[in-house]
Amino acid sequence: MPERVEVRQSVLKENDRIAGELRQALAGRQTLCLNLVSSPGAGKTSILEGTLDALRQTSVRAAVVTGDIQTERDADRLRRYGFPALQITTGGTCHLDASMVERSLKELPPGGLDILFIENVGNLVCPASYDLGEDAKVVVLSVPEGDDKPLKYPGIFRRARLMLLHKIDLLPYTRFNRDAAIADARRVNPEIEVVETSCLAEPGLGAWLRWIEKRLADKRQTGRPARA
Amino acid sequence: MHELSIAQSIVDSAREHAALNGGRRVLRIGVRVGEISGVAVEALEFCFGMTVKDTDLDGAALDLERIPVRYRCAACAHEFRPVEFLADCPACGFTGASMIAGDELGLSFLELE
Repeated sequence: MPERVEVRQSVLKENDRIAGELRQALAGRQTLCLNLVSSPGAGKTSILEGTLDALRQTSVRAAVVTGDIQTERDADRLRRYGFPALQITTGGTCHLDASMVERSLKELPPGGLDILFIENVGNLVCPASYDLGEDAKVVVLSVPEGDDKPLKYPGIFRRARLMLLHKIDLLPYTRFNRDAAIADARRVNPEIEVVETSCLAEPGLGAWLRWIEKRLADKRQTGRPARA
Repeated sequence: MHELSIAQSIVDSAREHAALNGGRRVLRIGVRVGEISGVAVEALEFCFGMTVKDTDLDGAALDLERIPVRYRCAACAHEFRPVEFLADCPACGFTGASMIAGDELGLSFLELE
């Protein structure tokens, strides 16, 4: 006689377990961890280049783990700023999972670390499901992609704490409706914060850098980044 | 296309639970898939078939329950299925509701021989 056993657990239990360990280890080192997710070409690597370039003028100790299906190109770009940058080549997998990040972190040089950036594989679907032990997921929506993305890919906008509206300087050349994009993101996630950025023109990355600064201060004070 | 990793996680968890229950054969695995969990049900079924083929779980059925997005109104507690994630309550008109279902991805039951 077949027996039915009730099981209530996440399908990604093993990933979530490793992510929990990572989160604890990072909290122990007072390291803020941000997981950047976007479509391919939205500008994650360029944003990180600008961010690292700014952080090297400060005393903040940063590191990057960057995921791609193929090539070391992103890590090569990111290493120019004097911080450790580790490449995870997933060999076909469309997202990073917690065990990949855990393995990668073992290669980091020892010593204090204030902020760890994880640059996920370019993809708005799969990375949404995976907890990597981060303090916050940051979704990058670039203007040329169109303002319809929050409702088309609600999962990642739902789980992100911050949306970077990126390449915002291109607004005059497109039909992108900024207010609609923000309103739609807030439909799926009423708590989502929004910061506008551009790597090439005004307003630059200043607001994003200030957001990071606040989260770093919160992390140092409370062990976890409070809401803005 | 992360359904292959998801299928592998489902199979690993099913094996673990079967072992805890005396190593009985797994006949059926129940999984709840939220509408915005990011998982394509057809792809998951396909990947599950590939994952269990020629293993101890070969022949086990995958029972996928799709869970639609549901909101609960913050004012009157009415529960409703939103249109394009709009938080306007159809009962009282209040704008402001929280998502109570639709983003889950969980095992719900196992049927063991």
